[in-house]
Amino acid sequence: MAALTLTCTITACKKFLTVEPVDRLTGNNFYLSINDVEANVANMYSMFFDKINEGWIIGGIGEARSGEIFVSPGANNEAARRVVEVLGENDLWAAMDPSAPWEWYHYERVTNWTRYYQVIQTANILIDKLEEGIPGVGETDKNRYLAEATFMRCFTYWWMVRLYGDVVYYTDPYNAESLPREPMVEVLNKCIADLTPHKDNLPWTFADPAQKGARASRGSVIALLMHMNMWNAGFDRNNREAYYRQVAALGTELIQSNAYRLYPLTEEGWGTVMKGRSDESLFEFYRSINYGDNNAALAPFGDHFLRWPYKFPRFNNQISHCYFIDTYMAKLYPTGIADKRADFWFEDMLSNSGQFVAAKFAFNVYASGNEDANPDNTFLIFRYADAILLHAEALAELSRDNEAIASLNMIRERAEATPYSGSGGQDLRDFIFWERCRELFGEGHRYFDLVRTQRIMNSAFARNPLNSDQYNRRAWTWPIDQSARNNNPRIVLNEYWLTR
Amino acid sequence: MNNLINTFNMKTVYLLLWMCGCLISVQAYAQTNITVTGNVIDENRQPLGGVTVLSGQPLRALGTTDENGNFRFSVPAGATLVFRIIGYQERSMSAGNGRTSLRIQLAPDASALEEVVIRGYQKRSKELSTGSSFTLGEKDLPDVPVANIETLLQGRVPGMNTQLNTGAPGFRGSTQIRGLSTVSMTGTGDQSFLQPTSPLYVIDGIPMDADRATEYGFQQQGPGISPLSMIPQEDIASIEILKDAQATSLYGSMAAYGAIIITTKRGNSPIPRVRYTHNSFVRTPPKLRETLGGNLERQLKLQQIYENAQDYFDIWRISSEAYFLSDSLNAYWNNSTNWQDYYYRTQYNQSHNLHIDGGDQLFNYKANVGYFSDQGIIKNTGFTRYNANLRMEYQPEDRRFQVIGAAFAQIGKQSVGDGVGMLQTGVASNGLSSTLLPPPSFYQSGGSHASALNTSNNNATRLIRTNLEGSYQFIEGLRASTSVSYEFESKTEDTFTPAAANNQFARVYAYNGRTTQLYNRNSLNYSTTLNENHNLFLNFFNEFRIAGRQSAISRQERSPNDQLQGPLGFDGFSSRGGGLLNDYTDERAASFAFAASYDFKKKYVVDLSYRLDGSSANGFENLYARNPAIGLRWNFDKESFLEPLEWLDYGALRLSWGVNIIPTGTLERIYGRFDITGNYNGQQGIGLNFDQIPNPELAPKTNTQYNLGLDFSLFSGKLEVIYDTYYKRVENELFEQLLPNTTGFTKLFSNGAGIANYGHELFLMIRPLRLNSDFSLSFSVNGAYNKDVLLTLPEHYGGQFIRWENDVNNHFQHVILRVGGSTLANYLRLNDGVYTTDGDVPVDPVTGLRYQTNGEYFKGGDPILRDLNGDYLLDGNDYARTGNSQPLFTGGASILLTYKGFSFNLNGSFTGRRTILNNALAQRMGLMGNPFGYQAVVPLDDVDMWRQPGDVATYPYAYDYRRYGTIQPFRFDQDLWAEDGSYFKINNIVIGYMFERDWIRRWGLANLRVYVSGENLHTFSAYSGPNPENVTNMGRDVSSGYPVPRTYNVGLNVEF
Repeated sequence: MAALTLTCTITACKKFLTVEPVDRLTGNNFYLSINDVEANVANMYSMFFDKINEGWIIGGIGEARSGEIFVSPGANNEAARRVVEVLGENDLWAAMDPSAPWEWYHYERVTNWTRYYQVIQTANILIDKLEEGIPGVGETDKNRYLAEATFMRCFTYWWMVRLYGDVVYYTDPYNAESLPREPMVEVLNKCIADLTPHKDNLPWTFADPAQKGARASRGSVIALLMHMNMWNAGFDRNNREAYYRQVAALGTELIQSNAYRLYPLTEEGWGTVMKGRSDESLFEFYRSINYGDNNAALAPFGDHFLRWPYKFPRFNNQISHCYFIDTYMAKLYPTGIADKRADFWFEDMLSNSGQFVAAKFAFNVYASGNEDANPDNTFLIFRYADAILLHAEALAELSRDNEAIASLNMIRERAEATPYSGSGGQDLRDFIFWERCRELFGEGHRYFDLVRTQRIMNSAFARNPLNSDQYNRRAWTWPIDQSARNNNPRIVLNEYWLTR
Repeated sequence: MNNLINTFNMKTVYLLLWMCGCLISVQAYAQTNITVTGNVIDENRQPLGGVTVLSGQPLRALGTTDENGNFRFSVPAGATLVFRIIGYQERSMSAGNGRTSLRIQLAPDASALEEVVIRGYQKRSKELSTGSSFTLGEKDLPDVPVANIETLLQGRVPGMNTQLNTGAPGFRGSTQIRGLSTVSMTGTGDQSFLQPTSPLYVIDGIPMDADRATEYGFQQQGPGISPLSMIPQEDIASIEILKDAQATSLYGSMAAYGAIIITTKRGNSPIPRVRYTHNSFVRTPPKLRETLGGNLERQLKLQQIYENAQDYFDIWRISSEAYFLSDSLNAYWNNSTNWQDYYYRTQYNQSHNLHIDGGDQLFNYKANVGYFSDQGIIKNTGFTRYNANLRMEYQPEDRRFQVIGAAFAQIGKQSVGDGVGMLQTGVASNGLSSTLLPPPSFYQSGGSHASALNTSNNNATRLIRTNLEGSYQFIEGLRASTSVSYEFESKTEDTFTPAAANNQFARVYAYNGRTTQLYNRNSLNYSTTLNENHNLFLNFFNEFRIAGRQSAISRQERSPNDQLQGPLGFDGFSSRGGGLLNDYTDERAASFAFAASYDFKKKYVVDLSYRLDGSSANGFENLYARNPAIGLRWNFDKESFLEPLEWLDYGALRLSWGVNIIPTGTLERIYGRFDITGNYNGQQGIGLNFDQIPNPELAPKTNTQYNLGLDFSLFSGKLEVIYDTYYKRVENELFEQLLPNTTGFTKLFSNGAGIANYGHELFLMIRPLRLNSDFSLSFSVNGAYNKDVLLTLPEHYGGQFIRWENDVNNHFQHVILRVGGSTLANYLRLNDGVYTTDGDVPVDPVTGLRYQTNGEYFKGGDPILRDLNGDYLLDGNDYARTGNSQPLFTGGASILLTYKGFSFNLNGSFTGRRTILNNALAQRMGLMGNPFGYQAVVPLDDVDMWRQPGDVATYPYAYDYRRYGTIQPFRFDQDLWAEDGSYFKINNIVIGYMFERDWIRRWGLANLRVYVSGENLHTFSAYSGPNPENVTNMGRDVSSGYPVPRTYNVGLNVEF
């Protein structure tokens, strides 16, 4: 009897003592429904996007550092735009100089990795909660969200590896430890092992067209796995064959799924790709003015290569801020070889002046006539064409030249360009590299391709090559902000950047 | 349980039978009743009214004495009368053998053992209490008008360290029982404060959170009126301070830092009694900073420039920039303004208190109506309190039922000007203005001056609390009671800053908050005696509490003009909004406690108690904190081998152990906080707030305390001793750890820190005179030694954590926590004196360069700052651990001397061995840093300062203003300012005279007493600053603090 009374009292008290906070959302009353998971996932994507939106990031990290971009004479804010040339000399300290005219480009923000780790913590905690079980989340949904969160975690590590080299790696939720950096090859191998089991838990494509491309699908996972393998193939050269075989297998799986397609290079077709949510998109950060999404004016790559009539208002957008040097453009799209991309994606390609237009990025919709912003600019990360070319590259490295050429020619065919008919071997590999540069122009891949293939040390491929000493000391990384050492003596900063 | 019920039933039957027997025997005696009359007087031969007279077996109250101490009752012949009143020893006298007229003198409660203590809301005999506690009665509170009753406890209780570190009216100082309980600091620089760890206050059985007003340190929003300032001192009957965990564990988590139990007066007089108390008092500011006025200032500044100028440019600056020095004939600059005089004042105040009570055991009532005003010694500040307290008790003859109802209504009004009460930064900086400047006027309305004097600040706290208590005794010894209380407190703050004080635009700020508390306690207790030797007391109770808080502010920049303070909100820019603040609280607590006490012949006592504390703030998994305690007591005077000792009144040995658990995990700390932020792909995002990492393993803070005590009294109360020694360990102290950015989070609340406190407490009371002498003298002295040691820190700190002070304005006075040492030490540069000549400066043998800092070489007259790493460069590495900001010794002494109607009472308190950083002196000497600036200059004649090569001095040369930027001779971050803050303070002296009753009766008065008293009269200290007590609890003497005034009072106490 006494026990019963006590039990009743304790139960009643538990009810009495349980007060749902009405003024704030604490962890105990979150993760209670599938809606909470959706909201948390949205937050995770938007946090990552914040890092891309910090400045002219895609261009700064992925395109400018090999030295082909120059400031148009007479560009507005010309002094500040010169940062692209500073980046092109790989003088990152100067690019981050707070007293320089380009101070407002804020490249020092790239060196701070806190936000990336916030994405990782969010993913880790979400995974932990999903494994504990969240009411209303069935087995299929649970596996799908697990795969999506794992994808975002690995994607973030891969992104950081490309920026900083070695990084701190952990997957446990609420990690509060002071960890040292781990070798990047190991980090990516862990990520590959982490992500691979989740691949088949994501759908190829979504029933809801609004999620296509914008949210991680099986295609996103495959693209990321291919990229991670390709990166490691470049740095873990003893095991490169294995990595290439992985990429070849993944690429074949992707192509054979027929879940994705290449759009024709017409205004409508390419416009759809650039707007996002297309069948060609494997992964992107979808942005829409209809959702009130706010892109920093500086953030889109195309911002620096558009002028009136692609950019408004006319009076201060007479010329593009920057241009790609003609020697490089000529190398990309040699005259005499048919290639619709050269005509459709560019204007005054060889002008060496502000007349240069990368019309590839001009297919955005302005909110009104006088907008110097790109409100509807979706940030493409992985495109079907990118994966096909990685497939070709891996096959070529494995000397499966015919298969490689078949994949390569899928891209050339869409571009209405002359199919590749040259020899195999190194010629083919180099051609595939250039094809990646042609196809993925401005999408933030070129510099990382140069680095992982070591072509960054070759002036035939990069206008501003690194020497082998610089390459070995990782001059291709970014410095890591001093704050990383706060409360963590085990962090060693990037050695190359310690001496100015 | 069933067995227990059976036992009860059997006992009931026995009891009924036994009671019937008693009734029969009473009837038998009733046939030979006699009438007994008599008179009861006190130790001063004054009649004692309200004394309860009891008789019979069991004792039954016959009635009480009238106001003249007379009584008249009819009792059986030979009956024994027992006379009982609180505060006096009980006496019994038999009324047989023809003695029908009695004269009884009651002696005051000399023996502390007769006192009643309160444990777990139950009255218990002190003789049986095993914990460490200390009681102050109504008479122990001196007649000094105070806003906050805590002031009166200073130096009275061994082990309780009260420091009046602010003189701001209506605010509280700091109170610590048995040392440091936290390492959490809030704020920066001079405004660093230890997280308050205040004892729990229980007022008439209702627990109250004394830190409520200071939840966010002292810079909280809303009126900072301490809830303790709302209790009128005239209404207090007794205060009991519980110190060890055995005594406090029944009060649970909230009492982890000790408990202070305040009982207000209750009615006890058959005829209504009216008592009026009046105080007229003057508060005077302490000695203010000396400044040189008018031409003296000008001459000193000019001379300073002439003597120390580096080149002609400095001289030229006198005429090109410093017009106030060169243009001495200009009336505008030709002044000698005493700026401090515009802010500080001597203030006359009054208090009135009317106390009405009446009734007897059956029904009694009390009403207390009061007014107290304390307008501060800084202009535009002050505190006023109005109170009306009411209490009624009803207990029918058979004492089965008891009903108590009480209502308290208090209004506190306060103004802090433009300061925040504890700090008056505006006043402090204005007080330093150059005397050459014209005095304040509308024309010369320096914004800050107008702000300090004309900001209209009106804070009000209105509090209503009612409680109702009922109890019923089922059978003898078994009593159930229940108590319900509701408290509502409304807090408002209105601040209007006139245009002149805010860049020509008036500003309005309003705060509006409320807190509520619904409290319920139900208890069941049972006491019994078996075989006359074994006494058992069982007490079970539970408590429920629902506490709520909500507050909102509104702000308006640019109200139309100084006359129009509203309506508010006319545009989006100026209406700065505000809205609900984030201190919204809806907290529920449920606790269950059980206490058992057993004693054998009152000789051996065992106390066991256990309390479960549940709170909605603890999260959902670990709802309950468990507080166990054990206490043992041996009253060795009752041993047969000691009983023959006539000189031993009593003696007891106490031993206790107890644990208090304080939950520190809020929902936010345990589970994290989620914000609605970031949207993606048309989906609103909700994500973690990355300020603090959720810590599901956060453990509650644990206070474990061991206590060993010895009480004894010798020679009929001539010497009383209470000694306690204790060891207190605070584990799992909440520690705010900063995280590496690879975690994504900023900080982690972890459990890594632990502190130990150990010490000794001694209380001595000496009454050297005979009890029946006309003179009575009691002298008491108490002292406590407390040492704190930092036991642990989170592992990765390697045993040391430095709390860096990185803001230039905060003086770089860092705090270091090092395991094994005293917890809070300063981290400063070490000063070894002053270089007497340039040749004394060490030279780097490698480079041949002199010791330097900031690109400047040291020379004669500069401070010798120790080069700790030996690199001949003074930089950020040359810091060392020094000093301890917490006192080692605290205590006090008190003398009470009475002769007939006269009485003299002196109370003093002391604090020993603590380090104070004399920032006031650093600032004062630093005033000489810029002779071109509009700052006052101070005489430095009394300072042991280097003046010429060869001087061996304590303080560096102050007049070479060019070295202030580089050498910084008066930098705050050096231990030159660290001084010993030991002091002995005369808290108060009261001299009173009580008129003879026969005299005043012709005026129709029952009692008349007049007295003069003084408070905060003198502090004896070697400290060179103004007041070693007027410092922050981190030991920094902030010159912008609110000085503690001295008070002179004339008071009157009339009863009719």
